[in-house]
Amino acid sequence: MEAIFALPFTVLEIPNIKIKKPIWLQPPSAMTTFSLVLLSYFLVTGGIIYDVIVEPPSVGSTTDEHGHSRPVAFMPNRVNGQYIMEGLASSFLFSLGGLGFIILDRTHNPSTPKLNRILLISVAFLCILVSFFTTWIFMRMKLPGYLQN
Amino acid sequence: MPATVAGKPVNGPNKGLFQNTAGFSTLITVTVLTLAWLAGFASRLFAVIRFESIIHEFDPWFNYRSTAYMVQHGFYNFLNWFDERAWYPLGRIVGGTVYPGLMITSGTIHWLLHTLNIPIHIRDICVFLAPVFSGLTAIATYLLTSELWSRGAGLFAACFIAIVPGYSSRSVAGSYDNEGIAIFALQFTYYLWLKSIKSGSVFWSICTALSYFYMVSAWGGYVFIINLIPLHVFVLLIMGRFSQRLFVSYTVFYIIGLLLSMQIPFVGFQPIRTSEHMAASGVFALLMAIGAMKYLHSLNPKGQWKQLLIVGGLVAAALVFIMVVFLTYMGVIAPWSGRFYSLWDTGYAKIHIPIIASVSEHQPTTWSSFFFDLHVLVCTFPVGLWYCIKNVNDERVFVALYAISAVYFAGVMVRLMLTLTPVVCILAGIAFSILLDLVLKEDEIIMTPSEPEESRNLYDKAGKVKKRTQEPPPPADAVLGMNVRSGTLIAFMILLMLFSVHCTWATSNAYSSPSIVLASYGNDGSRKILDDFREAYGWLSQNTAEDARIMSWWDYGYQIAGMGNRTTLVDNNTWNNSHIALVGKAMASNESAAYEIMSMLDVDYVLVIFGGAIGYSGDDINKFIWMVRIAEGEHPRDIHEADYFTERGEYRIDSEASKTMLNCLMYKLSYYRYDSGGSPPGYDRTRGSLPGNRGFKLTYLEEAYTSEHWLVRIYRVKKPDEFNRPRIPLAKRTIPTSNAVSKKTSKRRKGLLKNKPTIVKGKKVGRLE
Repeated sequence: MEAIFALPFTVLEIPNIKIKKPIWLQPPSAMTTFSLVLLSYFLVTGGIIYDVIVEPPSVGSTTDEHGHSRPVAFMPNRVNGQYIMEGLASSFLFSLGGLGFIILDRTHNPSTPKLNRILLISVAFLCILVSFFTTWIFMRMKLPGYLQN
Repeated sequence: MPATVAGKPVNGPNKGLFQNTAGFSTLITVTVLTLAWLAGFASRLFAVIRFESIIHEFDPWFNYRSTAYMVQHGFYNFLNWFDERAWYPLGRIVGGTVYPGLMITSGTIHWLLHTLNIPIHIRDICVFLAPVFSGLTAIATYLLTSELWSRGAGLFAACFIAIVPGYSSRSVAGSYDNEGIAIFALQFTYYLWLKSIKSGSVFWSICTALSYFYMVSAWGGYVFIINLIPLHVFVLLIMGRFSQRLFVSYTVFYIIGLLLSMQIPFVGFQPIRTSEHMAASGVFALLMAIGAMKYLHSLNPKGQWKQLLIVGGLVAAALVFIMVVFLTYMGVIAPWSGRFYSLWDTGYAKIHIPIIASVSEHQPTTWSSFFFDLHVLVCTFPVGLWYCIKNVNDERVFVALYAISAVYFAGVMVRLMLTLTPVVCILAGIAFSILLDLVLKEDEIIMTPSEPEESRNLYDKAGKVKKRTQEPPPPADAVLGMNVRSGTLIAFMILLMLFSVHCTWATSNAYSSPSIVLASYGNDGSRKILDDFREAYGWLSQNTAEDARIMSWWDYGYQIAGMGNRTTLVDNNTWNNSHIALVGKAMASNESAAYEIMSMLDVDYVLVIFGGAIGYSGDDINKFIWMVRIAEGEHPRDIHEADYFTERGEYRIDSEASKTMLNCLMYKLSYYRYDSGGSPPGYDRTRGSLPGNRGFKLTYLEEAYTSEHWLVRIYRVKKPDEFNRPRIPLAKRTIPTSNAVSKKTSKRRKGLLKNKPTIVKGKKVGRLE
């Protein structure tokens, strides 16, 4: 076996090169990966692909009984349609809720002082609750009959 | 509801009370899983309770029809079934164009029950198959999650997936579709894959391949597995996590899975011929190359091997890639099919394949669909992902990849929310389990859920990254006050409760409509059932010739075949675009042009769905623009989409509508003789306007049947001798004859012979004239 491998090298001289890994090529850290993932999650849940394909207006408008044109933030009564801004607003809330949960986990770091911990917990809960209930309200605006009957 | 509530106690079984912790946790596991199964099953029964045990929608009708055929005629006859009732005049080879897993599953259950002398109709099995399988999916998800994290997380995930709307949307009772069983197969295959990659045993790899085989037989979504697993292997290779276990499990899985998947007639040679499957073989080749280099390394563990390995790996990857590109170029490998290609190039379908873009479930997803299908899980999903990325190991790389790819695909197509839902449940289960662990952890230490993990560490090789899951040391708890703790707990409970309320509401209100039977609610809350579809299909089956050919838009093909038992021109298996375009062209042309197409296609009846009278928005006029688009794709000279819009580019049907629109066949068939629907008679309640062309006559068709609420309208196509005749008054139609014989007897005679004896009824023969 060894002889076969050595065969080409009787004729060839092995060049003395050192292949170096480029410095910038490092495995990304967990936090970087997660931030990227969270960013793309934010975009996708906001329906960015829908926005690209269907090209809805950023904010809709309607005409009221006096003939004035009023902006409408939410495309009502349709789960399968949206305006750009409402999508981004809601996906922001989704991400906010997610961050709230992550902050909640951070509170268990033993080195944080007690005051900070309580602050962190309240911030986390604020995030979660705000995101949850605002999304709820958004849903009520979108589907007026949401969670009724 | 019971599912989420029951999920709680698992995280803190009281150790003081029960000495036998292992036995106790098994009991809890079994109880929770059973409850999840029951809750999942029960929450999917809304449709059956409200209406009846009936097959829903469109595709399930075909599945039901072929299952019934298989049960009646046997499996081999089913495989050889040529259905001449579909795609007239082409016909369809059903056995070779269907994923038979669904039919075989329910056929097997039917056979089993009948062997046990339980006489149950095959329809009931079909109706209840998906809810039953949802319980199995919950168990598979439990297994998968406990393989990834802990048993507590697994129980959470199982409870989530049992009731989450994203999954129950496709698995309510009566929606007898491939997805109902395929999600179970998907989850179970992933579980077995993680098991095999952990143990590196051939046994588990073969189990993975078998489960994959079931998945291939059940659903076209198997392509997701055969791309995700190679992706996992590839990423592990990049991360430098090559191991003997990986090598064994992937190679065994790939070869056996490849051979097994080729046994399905519909799949055939695709796994070695099409681009969708090339990633798997490419990774296989790459793994072989790296394995070979590792082997060489083991022969001579000196020198600059590491760099050589990396370079060699890169070169091998490049070689494999170039090879695949070259073979595709040469035409050996078929390029990406349109359906998959549109996942990458999102605008592709809209421009080139209107038939894919026309399906409502292929539309891109909006934020509200995410929220509607996942509710609070949509927030906890990133949290679970964060834990997985933070404490990464081989399996968690897998779930992270699964999560990221599924999120992307779900964003592109509403339908693929279905593949996202399981992974969201898994990750949310992990997140909730960890957070509740932190909250509930009493002053004494270890919780049960983390125990199996300790034992699992024994399998891990030395030198691998150990899990640091529950590392945060106990002192943290001492500071957390009781109030904070219970407050957090209550908040979580409320969240979960709202989640289950939402799930029940969504399943009940949005996903449990059979769409064959419509229900409308009056102001006083009374419910009115509109059964027009079955009424019309029943009329078809009773009053038309056995071999009558019905033309309708392809959506209704399966229902006409399933309920009306008549021949259709096009149906929901949209394999022949030009045939569909021909039907679309007929619908979009004016009457005489349409008649030409219809007589060419031997059409006897035309069926249109018209919702104007009751305000049903899914009718043919609303779908019409897609018919025009599809027809234009094949016949660009005859049909122009712009002709059907007003000058301002609006799609409307009132007097401002374009002339082409007002005179096309679909318009006429919808509004012919229409005088119902509200204050001005003939008002269209769906479009909210008065039709622009009214009181017209039909020359080439005649109305044959209209259902009670005008929902289904059936027209008979006249034969050439029935129209095109000038109307002659009665007086002119009688031909005066000079020597009139008795009119009564000679009326139907073609000619007369003078003095020929005639037989007069009621008289004796002997008394001839």
